[in-house]
Amino acid sequence: MPPRALSTARTRTLFAPLDAGGRADAVTRRLTQAIRLGLLADGERLPAEASLASQLGVSPVTLREALASLRELGLVETRRGRGGGSFVCAPDDHDQARLERPLRLLSLHELQDIGDHRAAVAGAAARLAAQRAIPGDIAALREHAARLGAAATTTERRRADARLHIEVAAAAQSPRLTAGEMELWSEIGDLIWLPMGADQVAAVAAEHRELIDAIEHAEPGLARELAERHVAAETSRLLEFRLGLAG
Amino acid sequence: MTGAAASAGAGASAATRDSAGSGDSAGSGAAGEAARLLAGITGRVGQVLASVTGVRDATLGLAAAAQAAGRAPGPADLEPLRPLVAGVLAAHQGFAAGAGVVLAPGVVAGAARCLEWWWVTPAGEVSKLAVDLDPGSAEFYDYTSTAWYREPERTGSWSVTGPYVDYICTRQYTFTVSVPLHLGGGFAGVAGADILAEEVERLALPALTRLPGAAALVSGNGRVIASNTTRALPGTVLCPGRSGPALWHSPPLPWTLVADPRSPGG
Repeated sequence: MPPRALSTARTRTLFAPLDAGGRADAVTRRLTQAIRLGLLADGERLPAEASLASQLGVSPVTLREALASLRELGLVETRRGRGGGSFVCAPDDHDQARLERPLRLLSLHELQDIGDHRAAVAGAAARLAAQRAIPGDIAALREHAARLGAAATTTERRRADARLHIEVAAAAQSPRLTAGEMELWSEIGDLIWLPMGADQVAAVAAEHRELIDAIEHAEPGLARELAERHVAAETSRLLEFRLGLAG
Repeated sequence: MTGAAASAGAGASAATRDSAGSGDSAGSGAAGEAARLLAGITGRVGQVLASVTGVRDATLGLAAAAQAAGRAPGPADLEPLRPLVAGVLAAHQGFAAGAGVVLAPGVVAGAARCLEWWWVTPAGEVSKLAVDLDPGSAEFYDYTSTAWYREPERTGSWSVTGPYVDYICTRQYTFTVSVPLHLGGGFAGVAGADILAEEVERLALPALTRLPGAAALVSGNGRVIASNTTRALPGTVLCPGRSGPALWHSPPLPWTLVADPRSPGG
């Protein structure tokens, strides 16, 4: 893919200067999100290091550190010589080995912490959605739930699953909880389906159905509990899988 | 412009229009003045709708020119839309946060889906919205499933969707006004614009606070747009049994001013 200029929109949203003290971790996170959300396409060449560093408001040393992390995660590859530079490698959901790599970099405590964060966001979103959703919202939730059931590939399952959870937060009428779900899904969305096969789709679909029913029946307490339990179950599966990779 | 839900279309607003006469007699004094202020807001939304209709007509013109040249319209044919939409966003600066056109699958040559949408960045620049339109991608954005696309498709007329959380374009609490686009007698997409809910609330609040009692401006589906009481905050849905009567309707928008509004927990 030939290099192309980054659009202003993406430059503003992705490459807005980080706060003072912004570090390689923050740069890594932002670029990871951009790649996971498809804002940076597979094969796309990143701007030259000096230019990218100045757009992000970090030093070239910090940027190089971030690029090294991204290479480690398999999200960027650097080619030398004429026509070289750093190129985006958008993750392929079917490539289990590639997905296991970022999972190995997360400690069990980090995974648990991400799961706790997800439970907090999903639980609050479910509770508010049960208070604020209208029939049109419920119809959208059921549609995305059905897409998950009909999905034939991991990519489709992950997409439908992410969309469903984001829609619950949108039904809560909260831009912040919605942004929270989007950030969490872009961060570890690929990993959530890693330990789950097609045989688990029915179980996940049943949990989603119960959750949507609770939202539709305006039962905020139940909706929250179901969402928290659903996320906790996914977190435990991921933790078991991560333990299996140890050693 | 996400909005898989929460649309109040032109069809739904027909009843509101018919009963609008009674709304005009909502009262004199403070209530009458509030009604006039609120009518100003719906007029403002109407101006955006007029601009969107202009974008729709321009799109039809570009498509017709391509067809006259013996080909299906392609992305290059739609390039003149950019300055036009930039002009619309400048005309409605601070009110409309994004605008553009999306076409039905298969309308544009060489692209299953086509989204020509621009938004105003926090820095105030007009930028094209970049979304993933590849159905095989994990981040695929299927605008054909949104209410602001489906309502004009279903009714053949304009609609106002929202307020809803637009997590694709503005990433804020938003309304989207949209009008259908017909090519060769068939539905071929919509032109639309995003209006920030906070701007509508900002305009509505002075009117609401002039009212003698508690009241809320409510969308066609019962969602609070703005109110002068914490018993019914924006984004919540009114309890029909516990809220008061409609004080005023805002034709042609399906919005209503409701007295003594109550939301769950309010």
